Amino acid sequence: MRRVSVRGLLDLIHIIEWDLMKLKHQTLFVAMRTTWFILQVLVFGTTISMLVRYAQGFNYYDFYLLGVFTSLIYSVSIARGYEVADEFDEGIIEYHLALPVKRSTLALGRVLGGSISSFLFTLPMFIFIMILIQPGNWLWIPVSLVAIYLFSAGVVGMAITIVLSVKSTDATDILMGVIDALLIRLSTVFYPAPILAKIMPYYYSALINPVTSLSDFLRVLFLPEYVVYTSLPPQAQLAYIVGLAVGFSYLATYIVSRKLEAGGWR
Amino acid sequence: MFLFLAGVRLMEDRVVAVKVVNFTKRFGNFTAVNGLNLEIYDREIFGFLGPNGSGKTTTLLTIATVYKPTSGDIFVYGHSVTREDYEVRKLVGLAFQDPKALWVDKVQELLEWHARVVGFSRGEAKKVVREVLETLDLWEHRNKYFYQLSGGTRKKLELAKVLIQRPRLAILDEPTAQVDVPTKHKLWNIIKELRDQGSTVIIATNDMFEAEKVCERVGIIYKGRLVAVDTVSGLKDRIPKGDVIEIVIEGDGRKDKAIESLMDLGRVEYQGNTLRIYVEKGEEKALLAADILRSAGIKVKSIMVKEPTLDDVFMYFTGARLVEES
Repeated sequence: MRRVSVRGLLDLIHIIEWDLMKLKHQTLFVAMRTTWFILQVLVFGTTISMLVRYAQGFNYYDFYLLGVFTSLIYSVSIARGYEVADEFDEGIIEYHLALPVKRSTLALGRVLGGSISSFLFTLPMFIFIMILIQPGNWLWIPVSLVAIYLFSAGVVGMAITIVLSVKSTDATDILMGVIDALLIRLSTVFYPAPILAKIMPYYYSALINPVTSLSDFLRVLFLPEYVVYTSLPPQAQLAYIVGLAVGFSYLATYIVSRKLEAGGWR
Repeated sequence: MFLFLAGVRLMEDRVVAVKVVNFTKRFGNFTAVNGLNLEIYDREIFGFLGPNGSGKTTTLLTIATVYKPTSGDIFVYGHSVTREDYEVRKLVGLAFQDPKALWVDKVQELLEWHARVVGFSRGEAKKVVREVLETLDLWEHRNKYFYQLSGGTRKKLELAKVLIQRPRLAILDEPTAQVDVPTKHKLWNIIKELRDQGSTVIIATNDMFEAEKVCERVGIIYKGRLVAVDTVSGLKDRIPKGDVIEIVIEGDGRKDKAIESLMDLGRVEYQGNTLRIYVEKGEEKALLAADILRSAGIKVKSIMVKEPTLDDVFMYFTGARLVEES
């Protein structure tokens, strides 16, 4: 009855499906989150933009739109880490470890599945941002989507690595909370790099922050005039995002393949 | 004697499905399993008998590569769990003691995903899942969320995963716990069919009746050590004197002295207010035992002579009662 089939790629697809199945159950949540995002951008974004005066020709509203979207994709991606923690708590990880799938495939599948899921979760909000920004060159949309996806893969990989390394609900909550606070605040999500440059340690933290890389990369793509306000050239930002994705995917795969076994969750 | 020897020879000729070699598993300072050695044969139903916390689940999960051995190794059809874990997983199907699903999982959706992961195409998965759900009387629950299922239905869902897979080695961790009696009988038949269709089955249980009813051989595991392995009848035969006198007493009196006196009759095990004496000619010795207890000022509540059950076997080998410890 059991079928001998070509595995590998199929296994990877099936593991990715696991996260997509979970996303399917969150349709209502996605709709609510999208509605809230639209309200946030229209009401809070407009209000704050009227208050901020920085430089001649600097439109804070457009700057804010791509920043707030970056913080959103980061938060949604990091939430996958919490979901993996819940799965460990409920024994789902044990179930996955017993499946006839290579450990490396399992880890890579969860990173890819989590990032695709996060990407799809935020897609309606990205479309809304694009409608507001009205990009001059529509070709930059697929480029930006690739960058957003890679960023999400890196963050999901990081979250999975942390959760599976610490194996503790409390430690996960604390670590993720600290990382979340630091990465979002020490970045150019809401403040342009020249402003941050006035507070030196803050500025250097922002420079090495992947959240900065994505928000600045998206701004350079869709708002070319903002290139003077970014800290690094877009090629460097993109390289950093690719590095993040590859690095943390590898680390998550390594942890699952070599170190992970069931039990020991605190 | 000839038949007995022929039986042993037959056993020795059988293909070894699982070979456990000096397997030890520690969690921090706690040793869950200590130096376990065991062979489980191809196409047999093997029962792991022991109270909760005795090391059954740890051993089963290590066979399924979910845990890694601290030392020693386990071979599944010749593949090492430490060096060829993926090869092992391709041969093993596991039904966990606590059913594994998220609250928001739907029965059919989860099982179809499971079927695809174990190698079925999308179309085949739908077909096999329907067959298994119907076999287990779960079809009407197919669109329910996991949180809507009763404990017994959840156990059936867990077993369904293994039935879909039809693995070479099926590991079932307490498959009928929380299940009503008629369903238990049905599940036991299904487990036997699984074996008849070519699977080796390992069952962890603390249900004596289940072990007697389903298992061909039984391993008694206690405090992380394997204390006996044999067929159910073989284990019973290993109780040396054939009969068991079971005495329930009331009040303590000179209990220790009385027990000392009873030892002249045979080996005595006691727990709480129940004494068990392993003797020959039980009927004769029972009266004598009652007299000894009475003269020690101990009231006898009930006295019974019986042939040994698997429960007696467990008591004999471990000095503990399985059900109470569970």
